[in-house]
Amino acid sequence: MRAAGAMFCVAAVLAAHPAGSADPAARPAARHEHTNVILISLQCLRPDHLGAYGYKRRTSPFIDAFAKQSVVFENAIAQANLTPIAQMSVLTSQYPRVNGMVSFEVSRDMVTDKTLPEILKIYGYTTAAAVSSPEFFMRYDPGTGAMINPGDIFSRSFDSFNRTMRGPEGRNLRNLRRLPNESLEWIRNNKDKKFFLWIASGLLHMPYGAAVPSKERSRYDPQNYTPFWKRIPLQSGRISADTDPAYEVFSRVRNNDFYWGFSPVYHLSAEDVAYVNARYDAGVHYTDQFIGELMNLLDSLELTGKTLVILQSIHGDELGEQGNYFHYDMTDTVLKNALMIRFPDGEFGGKRVREQVQGIDIMPTVLNYLEIPVPHEAQGGSLLPLLRGTASAYPGEFAFVDRTPWWEFNLSQWYLDFESAKGDRFPPSERKKLDEYRSMLKASFSTMEYPPGDIAIRTNEWKLILRKNRDLLDKVSWWSFITGKKHVIEELELYDLRSDPLEKKNVAAERPAVVARLKAKLLEWDASVEMRKARYRKDDKRLLIPYP
Amino acid sequence: MGTLGLGLGASLVGGLSRYAEALDRVEGKYKDYNVVLVSFDALQAAHVHSLGYPRAITPTIDALAGRGFNFTNNISVASWTVPASMTWFTGVYPSEHKLTNKFAVYEPPVTKLSNLKELAPNIVTLAEVLKQNGYATGGFTGNAGVNGFFGYGQGFDTYFFEKGKFGSMDQSVPKALEWVAANKDKKLFLFLHGYDIHGQHVPASGFDYRYVDKGYDRKYTGSAAEQEALREEGLAKGHVSLRDEDVRFWRAIYDEKINRTDAVFKKFLAVYDSYGLTGKTIFILTSDHGTEFHEHGRFDHGFSLYNELVHVPLILTLPGVPGGKVIKDQVSSIDVMPTVLDLLDVPVADAVRKQLRGSSLAPALKGEPVAKDVYAETDYRLYTYKRSVSTMDGWKFIYTLENKGRELYDLKNDPGETVNLVEKQPKIAYELEQKVFSHFRSIGSDLSARRWEPGLNPVYDSQAKAAPKK
Repeated sequence: MRAAGAMFCVAAVLAAHPAGSADPAARPAARHEHTNVILISLQCLRPDHLGAYGYKRRTSPFIDAFAKQSVVFENAIAQANLTPIAQMSVLTSQYPRVNGMVSFEVSRDMVTDKTLPEILKIYGYTTAAAVSSPEFFMRYDPGTGAMINPGDIFSRSFDSFNRTMRGPEGRNLRNLRRLPNESLEWIRNNKDKKFFLWIASGLLHMPYGAAVPSKERSRYDPQNYTPFWKRIPLQSGRISADTDPAYEVFSRVRNNDFYWGFSPVYHLSAEDVAYVNARYDAGVHYTDQFIGELMNLLDSLELTGKTLVILQSIHGDELGEQGNYFHYDMTDTVLKNALMIRFPDGEFGGKRVREQVQGIDIMPTVLNYLEIPVPHEAQGGSLLPLLRGTASAYPGEFAFVDRTPWWEFNLSQWYLDFESAKGDRFPPSERKKLDEYRSMLKASFSTMEYPPGDIAIRTNEWKLILRKNRDLLDKVSWWSFITGKKHVIEELELYDLRSDPLEKKNVAAERPAVVARLKAKLLEWDASVEMRKARYRKDDKRLLIPYP
Repeated sequence: MGTLGLGLGASLVGGLSRYAEALDRVEGKYKDYNVVLVSFDALQAAHVHSLGYPRAITPTIDALAGRGFNFTNNISVASWTVPASMTWFTGVYPSEHKLTNKFAVYEPPVTKLSNLKELAPNIVTLAEVLKQNGYATGGFTGNAGVNGFFGYGQGFDTYFFEKGKFGSMDQSVPKALEWVAANKDKKLFLFLHGYDIHGQHVPASGFDYRYVDKGYDRKYTGSAAEQEALREEGLAKGHVSLRDEDVRFWRAIYDEKINRTDAVFKKFLAVYDSYGLTGKTIFILTSDHGTEFHEHGRFDHGFSLYNELVHVPLILTLPGVPGGKVIKDQVSSIDVMPTVLDLLDVPVADAVRKQLRGSSLAPALKGEPVAKDVYAETDYRLYTYKRSVSTMDGWKFIYTLENKGRELYDLKNDPGETVNLVEKQPKIAYELEQKVFSHFRSIGSDLSARRWEPGLNPVYDSQAKAAPKK
């Protein structure tokens, strides 16, 4: 299957160091002269729901086959819990604060440092994207109240940017968050070009399974199961009529209690949680088929031997392990990513890396492999020395996460307005308090500067979270609102990831030495990143990314 | 780049046989010879006749070039005196010797002058090395940017500078000759400097306007105050308005100063020669930076890294070697210290060897290639922070740190640096930008590791006010 690409591979393997001053005719071509790149970014993909990462359910036969030909990173971390923030971090190899993409506001040119597609374009790549995560193109203009697609930092530097459309009225999310199939057609039409293709799929995002064809959607469903939200008797208002696990339902679930009118009116059973996972897994399975189709296409077009393929999660999702859902915070279920890199000549195929790596390491690795100088603004490091066994340390030994409390900011700016306009989504008791809550949120975030947020340091063994502005978090917390109870947030959380992977127990009080050591390192990083913080230009028109 | 053999590849003037004769002597070292390092402060390469300037205003300098080695493509590591000159004596970049501005700390009422020993205590200077090897060392200067308080005197037995002045060679030359006379039996390292050509100096008897157009309306008179005003206006507004005749006037003033200085230097050489020392002296004539005459819309020096500010003469004479050889390879002022140590065959401690960032230019004297990429930097008064690379194949990239400004020039086709090719040649621009950052990281200055905000670090008292807005 790969023999056809062999001749390209030999040249790649023999490529000289870029600084060589020898006779150009004798020097072998640099890899960037003949290697395509495909970056597959899968929103909300939990690595532990893939066979390749040990999942019991056979959700991903094609990805598993791909994994065998690739390097599989078992401990890859996202730089943030939110999609556009985590992904811009990958595309720039910079922490969110440094590239400026920290919230759900975006102005046309807010990220000024070079992105991966921009650099590859400089090196003669044809760049294209097929995107079905609306976070990367859909914008809400608070001035006009309209949804628009003006193109901005995510679409710039792409010769062709193909994004999904909402389509006619009805389930717009189903149309938006489907599989980005146009990527396959694009490859067929451009196979002779040297290309960088970014495939970003939003299919796995809530509502789970919405874009999966109906008969496949229910493949893992528990027998004779009716979604719990259709069974709860409510005195007023209604919850979603759909069977897809959706945000409007799960934004009301905390510790597996469903809240309505500030009261826990239902406790999710194991079967309920299984249903959520079933619908999620149906999405994984459906996505896997697409990946299989993609890989077969590359083989049939003889591109496998000259294409570097990176498959990554943008971040994960909570699926009820702790009774919580979605990607609100920095648990490992949210931060741990699938990350696999398949090299054109099969180098490192089958290798599994246990050392921690982070999102900002992807771009330096790609550029390093292609023999393109890594931009000085990049904050991650190439993983090639780690793969080659020549690293004495590796860049991700200490991984850092930057979480500004923009969740509630985003809610206040769009979601609550939109949802409350739908009338009966909130019962009267909640509706009364909603205005108050919304105003309080707006006032809390009124300066539009970076509120000091949560920061975390993670190693192979520990995770330490420091909430720098606990008072703000306590005040604005959505969970405090919807549950009617104060959502108490600790200033410091320490988790022993080896013995407590689900992070059930905060052991900060019991391990003061570990806390001291990690906290010192975390604060050192915080200060260094703070110094390089991007600054908002006050007059820039900012639009909102309308999806939490 | 790979050419071998004697006399091939580099340009050569003079008969092959005469050159072969010269080779044998160059082959040897110059142990115990004297070294006279002369800095004609603010002299740009473009105004030196033997570097192509049409007016023959530098007969003495030309004569030395005629019997020596003329490096026509020598680039200074900085565009003003304080950072540039210290590099000759340390062999390291300003980012390492840390004399990047007059003050190490400027937060009135707390101010602290920059000083080499305090800022870079591990650096060993050229004078210190030579002194350790039995040399008598003397520096005779015009003060200001090379004054003793900065640490320029480190390693010199005697270091002359007149406080508060932009002193002339009229003062430093007699003092230097006095010292030479008293030490002529020793091996000597002499640093001779004067501000005669600098904008802040006017001839003691005033100008005679020898080169000024007869019809010029004397809008300007050439005074230090006018020069300062033009510079400050340029910094405040980003450009100054000057008529063509004004630019010609200022160049004529500059030429008069150069011509006068050349004459003073001629007298120095005559007296020096009368002590019988010329035959065992290596002369190195150079300058720390040039002067902008509106090439890029501004006036004076320090605030940019264009060639009118960093392209400076470097002429080296070796006794007994018939020269007149032109060396076009691009070299850097950072090569001066390694070259002196190499030619004098002085034993160099490992620590000092590791300190040196440049390389000896002695191979060039034998016709071997020495061309290199050269780097320059300025943090002029904290008004701006710029870093540049000039590649040996003629590309120049300048990065301005406070606003991430990027400039790329094709010097072969656009020596005046007028057309910014950053958009048209994105790959070259990208690669050279990474080269610049990589270079500075390698010398311990990670440009990404801090914010670069314009501030205030005055040179003259008149500049000690609020930082200019840009």
